[in-house]
Amino acid sequence: MPNPDHPPSSAERSGGSDFHIEFEGRAVRARHGDTVASALIAAGVQVLSRSLKFHRPRSVFCLSGSCGSCLMRIDGQPNTRSCQVKAEPGLRCERQNAWPSADYDLLSAADAMFPLGMDHHTMFTSPRPLNRLMQKVVHQLGGLGRLPEVDAELASAASVVCQHVAVLVIGGGPAGLAAATEAATALGQTGRVLLLESQHSVGGSYLCHPELGRDRAHAALQLAQEAGVEILTGTAAFGFYREERHAAQPGAELGFVAAASDQVLYKLSADRYVYATGGAAQNLLFIDNDRPGVMSGRAVGRLLACHGIRVGEMPLVVGCDPFADELVSALRRSGQTVIHIDGTREKLTRALGGSWVEGAEVCDERGVHRTVRCDLIVIATPPAAASELLVQHGVTVELRQPGGFVGVADAQGQTNVPTVFVCGEVSGAMTAQDAADHGARVGLSAAQDRISEQARDAAARNIGQDQE
Amino acid sequence: MSEKCIVCPCEDVTLADVEQAIGLGYLDIDEVKRFTGLGTGSCQGKLCMVTTCQLLQTAQAADPQRVQRQPEAQRVPHPFTPRPPVVPVPLGVLAAGKGADRER
Amino acid sequence: MSARERMPASAAQLATEAETVIIGGGIMGLGIAYELGKRGRSDIHVIEQEYLTSGASGRNGGGVRMQWSTELNIRLMQESIEICRNFASELGINVWLRQGGYLFLIRSQQELSRLEQTVALQNRCGVPTRILTPQEALRVVPELNPSGFVAACYNPRDGVVFPWPFLWGYAHAASELGVHIHTYTKVTAIEVRGPHSFVVTTSKGTIRCERVINCAGAWSPAIAKLVGVELPNHPHRHEILATESLKPFLNPLVSVLSSGLYFSQSMRGEIVGGITVPDVDDGTVRLGSRLRFLEDMSAELLSVMPCLSSVRVLRQWAGPYDVSPDGLPILGEPDGIPGFYLVCGFVGHGFMMAPVIARHYAELLCGGARHPVFDRCRLSRFQDGSTEKEVMIIG
Repeated sequence: MPNPDHPPSSAERSGGSDFHIEFEGRAVRARHGDTVASALIAAGVQVLSRSLKFHRPRSVFCLSGSCGSCLMRIDGQPNTRSCQVKAEPGLRCERQNAWPSADYDLLSAADAMFPLGMDHHTMFTSPRPLNRLMQKVVHQLGGLGRLPEVDAELASAASVVCQHVAVLVIGGGPAGLAAATEAATALGQTGRVLLLESQHSVGGSYLCHPELGRDRAHAALQLAQEAGVEILTGTAAFGFYREERHAAQPGAELGFVAAASDQVLYKLSADRYVYATGGAAQNLLFIDNDRPGVMSGRAVGRLLACHGIRVGEMPLVVGCDPFADELVSALRRSGQTVIHIDGTREKLTRALGGSWVEGAEVCDERGVHRTVRCDLIVIATPPAAASELLVQHGVTVELRQPGGFVGVADAQGQTNVPTVFVCGEVSGAMTAQDAADHGARVGLSAAQDRISEQARDAAARNIGQDQE
Repeated sequence: MSEKCIVCPCEDVTLADVEQAIGLGYLDIDEVKRFTGLGTGSCQGKLCMVTTCQLLQTAQAADPQRVQRQPEAQRVPHPFTPRPPVVPVPLGVLAAGKGADRER
Repeated sequence: MSARERMPASAAQLATEAETVIIGGGIMGLGIAYELGKRGRSDIHVIEQEYLTSGASGRNGGGVRMQWSTELNIRLMQESIEICRNFASELGINVWLRQGGYLFLIRSQQELSRLEQTVALQNRCGVPTRILTPQEALRVVPELNPSGFVAACYNPRDGVVFPWPFLWGYAHAASELGVHIHTYTKVTAIEVRGPHSFVVTTSKGTIRCERVINCAGAWSPAIAKLVGVELPNHPHRHEILATESLKPFLNPLVSVLSSGLYFSQSMRGEIVGGITVPDVDDGTVRLGSRLRFLEDMSAELLSVMPCLSSVRVLRQWAGPYDVSPDGLPILGEPDGIPGFYLVCGFVGHGFMMAPVIARHYAELLCGGARHPVFDRCRLSRFQDGSTEKEVMIIG
């Protein structure tokens, strides 16, 4: 039975507490630099949310704002990704979509009622009175968070910024930071380089490396700043709009990137676009793969690197790439007893436990199953390319394993759209160091491509003037 | 918790749901998205689309007649249309754009 | 085996000959196929260029209403909503009809006096529409901005459906009756051999038939051109957004006729809505998304319901309206091509009208009663000038 005061999911961290946030009426310790999610994990809170239909317990999975497992009501705002909200003294947070509480949610009866999944197409279609009743029940139980507490300020407070720059870099991870640095160095005073980062701080996958992560992120940021890169953090590019123009856009070209922060709507165009959007953590297919305590490798790495939080004593790590190996070593050095399987020869088939992982079933090549005891399951397989913006921009993508739908590009990172470049994980699965090297190459070639185009245009203008 | 292998955690779509759609002959990601509802929740497919496309790749390979049956279907795996906004954006921020600095 | 397990994705082969070829696997085409099949005329091949729900049928907001300005439309929609109410039990698939009403907000006294007449007409037809004061409207939707309107029209029996399952329901039932449905198949040519004699060429082969029914929606002018018919309808992009999911709080669909705004809360809790945004309208079907739509939609939505300001948009998409010049559909055979049937020009309300139109079309084709809609909506009305505009059109 889950007991919020004595959680079996032992999360430990070094250092003292700085302040408290308010979690469903009780005070939870938090440290500066915490997000709501990290503070709650550190406090041993197991269930952060209940799933939409089956009310299955959920906790953090990606910890980077891409999945929907940690949605909570925070400061009166429903459906807020708790991993993306900075913890602040007195911040109110509560769980949603549960009755009477997220720890004991009677609505999770839906999970048992539909053991294979909910056939929402054919369930209770007749007789008519039963169908009507079912629809009423579904309607009343539907939806996630309650309406927000009124915040009429936002509409009037938000503003619009339109800008055109020489190089727009989207994504502030290893690849994006390196690309922006190289581009800004090459362009010097001849053109602006603007970098967008959706999270509150740059670093991307650097920050998931338990030991060196923060130092590397800091170093890369410093280089970018020295090179003159303009950086907008907490600003997420959310679309490339091919048919429209903004007020500050030169020439006749159509298309711009739209981005948003809490208060500002940006419309940004560029001579060259460099997409370094990285990837989204992916889960594997096994029974009860959504159980709290199943986390992505990057989430576990980030908790350790950025928040000093060590979750559990006996993690089971799945994955065989260099990141998985590094993570296993780091977790062992932190004092944990790690079970490591590669995920190919030996596969994870089931997560055991209640409202938190208590074990796992794995299966080897011969089909022999064994049960292991563990208090955390770490999915440390490569993420899938975050290529949504690329597709909107008209760039060809192809499905790779691993890698997901990656942007197709030549060695310089140039895509089928002449002004668009890609680097890092959005162009293929790679380590953070390789992404940084790739980003540097691609950033330089994007800048050079822009410089040589301007030289050609200038020459053409001169010839034109001579002929007149 | 009853045993489930979840493909789309946002919409609680299970592997059994996806396999059922595939069994009905829905072999394109656009069809499976609509029939099961996967990818329409709060993460808009960031966690489930690639996994589903891989399942579909296997299913398509096992059905060579599909080419004759559906001549206009895409032969290579493709993502479903990545609808903007790629990340959730508040109505209040978007509303600021109305009339401001508009061209076109 | 559940009904769902027997639903067909696409038939194996195109026959060389059939009684009827239906072009377009949207709700109109599939609905007519089902209704014909039910009347024993199932020698039908339905040709869909993409997948079921790929066109406007899969991209609309799901509104179904009886509030119209012409008696014809009011009567048709009363019948259509009755079909929707029985759809789940008749066709074995849930369509999630929720009759939470339609609340039209009225922004000026002029608009109000115009709508008073249409409300009177609706009442004469048995539709319980009422004109509400702002205070009364606030009792229906307390979150409305009271300063944004002078009155409202409210019919509690209007509603919203989830559009997609209609197609699977009709497709499945039609297949069981012997209809063949071909997805991802394009029509490339139609040869008119004579009255009631056609050869339809598709990317899956050719088929001879006695009857071609053009249910291609926004693509219907292009299909009509294949037999030399110029239609006056044209495609128009209509965009919609959906927000994150909220617990149910909004009962009716709310609409502002003067701006073309409408929004409702789906069974899944999302606020789903659209608004009129001008476009190029050069005959091309455009389905790209525009930021301008998000901006216009958000601003208008927040002017009506300011408490949604911090609610996030999850996605936007576009669907093709099939716009006829007078807002009424185009039905029946064009002069000189017996056996070629039109079912197009439904603007933005084809989906809600499809169940009733499909039923009456099948009746007509089987030699049954000829519903007045077929005379009212014949193509030749644009030549002889006997048009009567429907004014209660959103978007």
